Amino acid sequence: MTRQWKLLDYALASLLRRKGKNLSILVIYTLTVATLASVLFLTQSLRQEATKVLSGGPDLVVQRLMAGRHELVPLNYADPIRKLPGVKSVQPRVWGYYYDSLKKVNLTLMGLPAEPEILVLLEGERPSKGQEIAVGRGIADTYGFGVGDSLLLIDAAGEKQLYRITGLFETGSDLLTNDLILFPEAELRRFFAMPTNRATDLAVSVYNPREVATLAQKVRYHLPDSRPIGKTEILHTYDTVFHWRSGMLLTVSLAALIAFCILAWDKATGISADERREIGILKAVGWDTTDVLALKFWEGLAVSLVAFLLGTILAWTHTYVFGAGLLAPVIQGWSVLFPDFDLTPSVDLYQLFILGMLTVTPYIACTVIPSWKAAITDPDSVMRS
Amino acid sequence: MTPLIQIDQVSQTFNRHQPDEVQALRDVSLDLQTGETTVLTGPSGSGKTSLLSLIGCMARPTSGRVHLEQREVTRLPERFLAEVRRENFGFVFQQFNLLRDLTVTDNILLPLTPTSLPAREMRNRAEEVLERFDLTRRATLKVRQLSGGEQQRVAIARALINRPRVLIADEPTAHLDHALAEGLMELLSSLKTDGTTLILASHDPFVIDHPLIDRRVQLHDGALA
Ligand SMILES: Nc1ncnc2c1ncn2[C@@H]1O[C@H](COP(=O)(O)OP(=O)(O)OP(=O)(O)O)[C@@H](O)[C@H]1O
Ligand SMILES: [Mg+2]
Repeated sequence: MTRQWKLLDYALASLLRRKGKNLSILVIYTLTVATLASVLFLTQSLRQEATKVLSGGPDLVVQRLMAGRHELVPLNYADPIRKLPGVKSVQPRVWGYYYDSLKKVNLTLMGLPAEPEILVLLEGERPSKGQEIAVGRGIADTYGFGVGDSLLLIDAAGEKQLYRITGLFETGSDLLTNDLILFPEAELRRFFAMPTNRATDLAVSVYNPREVATLAQKVRYHLPDSRPIGKTEILHTYDTVFHWRSGMLLTVSLAALIAFCILAWDKATGISADERREIGILKAVGWDTTDVLALKFWEGLAVSLVAFLLGTILAWTHTYVFGAGLLAPVIQGWSVLFPDFDLTPSVDLYQLFILGMLTVTPYIACTVIPSWKAAITDPDSVMRS
Repeated sequence: MTPLIQIDQVSQTFNRHQPDEVQALRDVSLDLQTGETTVLTGPSGSGKTSLLSLIGCMARPTSGRVHLEQREVTRLPERFLAEVRRENFGFVFQQFNLLRDLTVTDNILLPLTPTSLPAREMRNRAEEVLERFDLTRRATLKVRQLSGGEQQRVAIARALINRPRVLIADEPTAHLDHALAEGLMELLSSLKTDGTTLILASHDPFVIDHPLIDRRVQLHDGALA
């Protein structure tokens, strides 16, 4: 034990002796870890967010398809569904997307009272009369508006409409409300020019979530042109989207990995003449091979562990304090889906552990293995070469 | 009495089968007894350093055998050789082989670092040795800031910190003035009295003719003269 402490002490001192070299390695290495960890934190948080959104959503959403495309659902479609045993309630929803070409953001417009759950999150008044709306934090930030201000939107007829903001969804990190504008339902129908006997889709809630699949089958049986989507299916789609996004992020990660490999290669291709001489001297004064390898192990562990910790802290700060700004070009797709919102910190310890293993272990190997040959050679020839 | 070290028809060839092949030792046989003080002499390039390296288990001969107390060390795997070096030899190199960016104390303590000796005990030993070599005031300087003579004393101090049974010293007075050389010979005498086996290489007449020396071995062109 004393022996390992002394070797560790010696290792730290010798890292300090080669300050310049080790510092530059530490910097590159820390940045590599920071990039990888940022990607990790970001995807993790977004996935978390999506899961949260959906856990509050309806068990089953029934859409209508016509010619393979999403169509408005006649309100009387709700009747046969309501009669199915196991169905708690059926709620027609009126909602749609709106693209603001000036701000270049996609907004979700939703009619009240389709989603009573989210009203819990509302601060201020709920919109009741025509020309009143409630908006998500993301929208308020994008436009720089607050309660009492008015928002200009262009309706289906091409007319400019001014809406007064009566309430705000303050939970800034919530994907569900972030890009949401809530209208009184009648007003939204008018805005979208949607017939009064139609809805965007039907939100179905059931008594037993395990019956969702069977109920979906029955709905399709009674309404052949309907498309029932279970919550698990939506989760799946979300996941696919995220995985696709992760794929793009993977590109960044790969770039970082390549930088790391270059670094590792540089180290692996050989130790400096100075280091060789030192190993020779250590062996000559009585160190054995395992002592030298232990020394190199501690050196590698110290550098990679510090880099890992610094990199993780850096990534945390970057992702959650600065909103992953440096990854913005890669995740641009998201910002269209959701105007910028604050990420809720979410860390998967298991993933972090894997990242640690993937960065610390190869570095230690890169430190120890090149020294191996010098460590098993006669000190005389090591010192002279 | 069986010799401490037996050297049996040892040859050492560097850069074998290459244009710059050098035969540093040819067929050298030599027995060294416990407690004996031996000095290797001979002109520059005659193979003194090469022979000391073999004796101290720092290198392996091209042919021939070296025994330490009847145990053949020539064919021992490296990990056992390290142990043999640590437990038997203190080596003062001709070129010192100090770590120039470490302090005097750290250099002297190098042999003790991978041992279970507590740090406090290590400090005590370092102080004792520094004192003996008049290096106390240099203790915290980097080795590269020292004069040649001071470096030589650090090299000797490092070789002795482990209290070896065999001290091998290659040209130990090369950088010392007369007074320091005398001091060193006194120190070697006291080590000899304590039973340490001394093996030196030198072409300094002061060392070669010193009453301390029991035996003089003359090398010429890699062979015993
Ligand atoms: N590692 C090596 N590679 C190649 N040649 C070497 C090596 N070590 C020693 N030699 C050569 O072997 C010969 C003997 O060298 P050695 O160092 O043993 O001589 P020496 O008697 O100690 O000389 P000096 O008195 O100058 O120290 C020399 O010609 C030297 O050039
Ligand atoms: Mg020599």
